[in-house]
Amino acid sequence: MRDAYLIGAGQTPFGSMPEESYRSLFDHAVSEAIDSVDHGIDTNAIDEAVVGSLGVGGRQLGLSGPAATEHAGLHGVPSVRVENACAASGYAVRQAVQAVKSGMADVALAGGVEVMTDMSSDVTKYWLGVSGETEWERLTGTTFSGVYAQMASAYLREYEASEEHLSMVAVKNHRNGAKNPKAHLGFECSFEDAVGAPVVADPLNLYHCCPTSDGAAVALIASEDVVGQYTDDPVRIAGVGAASDRVGLFQRDSYTSISASEMAADTAYNRAGVGPDDLDFAEVHDCFTIAELLAYEDLGFCDRGEAPQLLEAGTTESDGAMPVNLSGGLKSKGHPIGATGAGQLVEAFKQLTGSAADRQLAAPKYGLTHNVGGSGGSAVVHILEREAAR
Amino acid sequence: MTAAGLAAIGAYAPRLRIDAEEFEAAWGRFDAAGVDEKAVPDADEDAVTMGVEAARRALTAADASGAAVAHLAFATTTPPMAEEDLAARLCSILNVPDDAKTQTMTGSTHAGAQALDATMDGGPFGEDIGLVIISDCPRGDPDSEVEHAAGAGSVALVVDDDGPGTVIERASHTEAYPGTRFRTGGDDRTTGLGVTQYDREAFTTTLSSAADRLDVPMETVDAAAVQSPDGKLPYRATGALGVDAATIAAADTVSSLGDTGAASAFLGAATAFADGAERVLIAAYGSGASATLFVATGPVPVNTALDGAVSLSYAAYLRRRGEITRDEPEGGGAYVSVPSWQRTIPQRHRLVAGRCSACEALNFPPTGACTDCHERTSDFEAVELPGTGTVEAVTTIQQGGAPPEFVAQQSKSGQFDSAIIALDSQSGEQTVSVPAQVLQATDEVTIGTPVVLTTRRIYTQEGVIRYGFKAQVASQRR
Repeated sequence: MRDAYLIGAGQTPFGSMPEESYRSLFDHAVSEAIDSVDHGIDTNAIDEAVVGSLGVGGRQLGLSGPAATEHAGLHGVPSVRVENACAASGYAVRQAVQAVKSGMADVALAGGVEVMTDMSSDVTKYWLGVSGETEWERLTGTTFSGVYAQMASAYLREYEASEEHLSMVAVKNHRNGAKNPKAHLGFECSFEDAVGAPVVADPLNLYHCCPTSDGAAVALIASEDVVGQYTDDPVRIAGVGAASDRVGLFQRDSYTSISASEMAADTAYNRAGVGPDDLDFAEVHDCFTIAELLAYEDLGFCDRGEAPQLLEAGTTESDGAMPVNLSGGLKSKGHPIGATGAGQLVEAFKQLTGSAADRQLAAPKYGLTHNVGGSGGSAVVHILEREAAR
Repeated sequence: MTAAGLAAIGAYAPRLRIDAEEFEAAWGRFDAAGVDEKAVPDADEDAVTMGVEAARRALTAADASGAAVAHLAFATTTPPMAEEDLAARLCSILNVPDDAKTQTMTGSTHAGAQALDATMDGGPFGEDIGLVIISDCPRGDPDSEVEHAAGAGSVALVVDDDGPGTVIERASHTEAYPGTRFRTGGDDRTTGLGVTQYDREAFTTTLSSAADRLDVPMETVDAAAVQSPDGKLPYRATGALGVDAATIAAADTVSSLGDTGAASAFLGAATAFADGAERVLIAAYGSGASATLFVATGPVPVNTALDGAVSLSYAAYLRRRGEITRDEPEGGGAYVSVPSWQRTIPQRHRLVAGRCSACEALNFPPTGACTDCHERTSDFEAVELPGTGTVEAVTTIQQGGAPPEFVAQQSKSGQFDSAIIALDSQSGEQTVSVPAQVLQATDEVTIGTPVVLTTRRIYTQEGVIRYGFKAQVASQRR
């Protein structure tokens, strides 16, 4: 199959934007993605569109894909919404890559959108729980933070790790997010604040949890046959991996790892022909800070149980050997559920094309994005490669 | 049949208690004479769940199982649903055969006596047993005598043909005395007109008329378990029943549990037998009015959990009563329909897991591909789990953090633990993981904590109460 390339990517700020609708947010992200294409692109060139969304917040809208793309001027373009909880737009990107690689499309648009902050707290309570196992897990009175807290309880018991490591992740990601003008919580936080925040679900406190955000993100994928029309500095989608697992934590083999992430990463590394050591940075799914520690291990950045030491050594800091979540991650940049996966591609695109401003790494070649649905029922990993300039 | 065997009695009262002094501090007075403290149901307890607790203890004491029950009678003045046959849920939870005869008695505190009476008439049972479950948690307006006295408790009696205990005599009397204690349709608060002399007359006239029909000399009775809406009224019946105050005091529960409604006299009998009484008079009375007296002889095996464990402040009490709390918020999403809930009742009521025919792993719930070997097996062998296990992962859902279905519970009871439990198999060789809420415990719940499962209300949606299992720290099971 032919290769697929990331030729552009853009996003709205993530945050609370009562003045925007899901369609206007998506439109802004489309504009930014189009503007990011090196030689420019006309919307008429887009053959296919895939829009990730959990359900446009709690609205459970049908046809939100076409509604968003038509509003953005992609008239007539086949458009579909994909739903995979927090991994919705990571999967949207994967779908677009499939369309391009298969030859059905030369250029495909993949994006995501969510509006989460304009609802009453009661409505929010209802729909935030729809992505867990609803008949058993949710009916123990647990929540998303509760399920990740259960994983954290098992992890802290099994390994040399403490609640302070959970806070260190928050401090690091806020430090990065403070350099990202698009971040929802773009401020630095002290270790003391991150340790002393109010408890949400023991052992997780408020600073161990990402915010709920509004936002949209869009990536443009082109085939190797046409990529030269759009850029002289191509970013190849070197490998894609995705995997599923039981939606309920209690039905999984392990509470201290996310096997869907592990399987997805294996596939992506194999397809890309690279390993974790080849990566220059990663954007990982840190909906809760425990999830970032699990990701280090699931993605092979270190052995089982060694994530706290990797963190302590500074390896995943912005100036470390393996910077993780330079964008601020979900923790600081924000988590508009359906937009998150595509949003990770935006950061990867910026880093690989040298447009990440204050967060820019020196000439990175390989980047990885890692997007998880629910507490691990779904995961998708993309490995991106900056090719030599043509 | 006049006589019947009494194989065992089980009794239960909620672990939450409030002291009379808390009421005095709040109101400047306490209006339930003779009540020192009383039992308070938790947010997830009601007449059904308390009844299950007593029934399981009675069956244990009788060395019997639900499978032996041919007749189940349920009595309460506080049915959790005003209309719906709750006996069907009790049968399901207790694994009672689906051809058992069932009865539900309600309408007055006399209901418990009606249930025992009818169950005795349902014999002889041969190898089978009759199970009488009497469970009550009355309430009134916050400043009323009824509410100050209102306690909670349940009792279950296993009736059979040959004891070891025997109900040797019974007699009833009915006479119209309206207005002493009543509840209008749709109301959940009991009241009365408070015509003191008239109320006493209704009580003593009805009881003495029933006593006149008994052939047993009252001086042979070790304890008289008399209906106790407060700690004073039963002693008005010394003359009517021909017993002295010490004999009534020998079966006292109202001073520590409060008014337990339909269960009142039977809880007294349970404690009297537990204390070694050989002959007990049970004097049940219901407003309206009617009374039934039973004379039972021991020994009767008794299994009780009547001690309190946690003392509530008056503010915490008002939360548990739902006086100052909120209900489930409006909304939708993650909706579990009643039919989909119903399909999982064997799991929720009786912990029916499934053994995979391909790899023998236990699955819970037993549907879909095996969670262990992922084979598309459709023939899980049904395996009932004993309900013991160990915490594998746990968190505490803080106040305000509960999902909507649990907002009302959290509003009443506060933060709670949500865990994954590795449930033991009968053989002890395998475990299967299930998610469960953990009942509040005085000890911290951590990974490795042993637990036992119990039946509680899980949540109520669209007016339908959904019962299922929760975990209780094993060391805290009374």
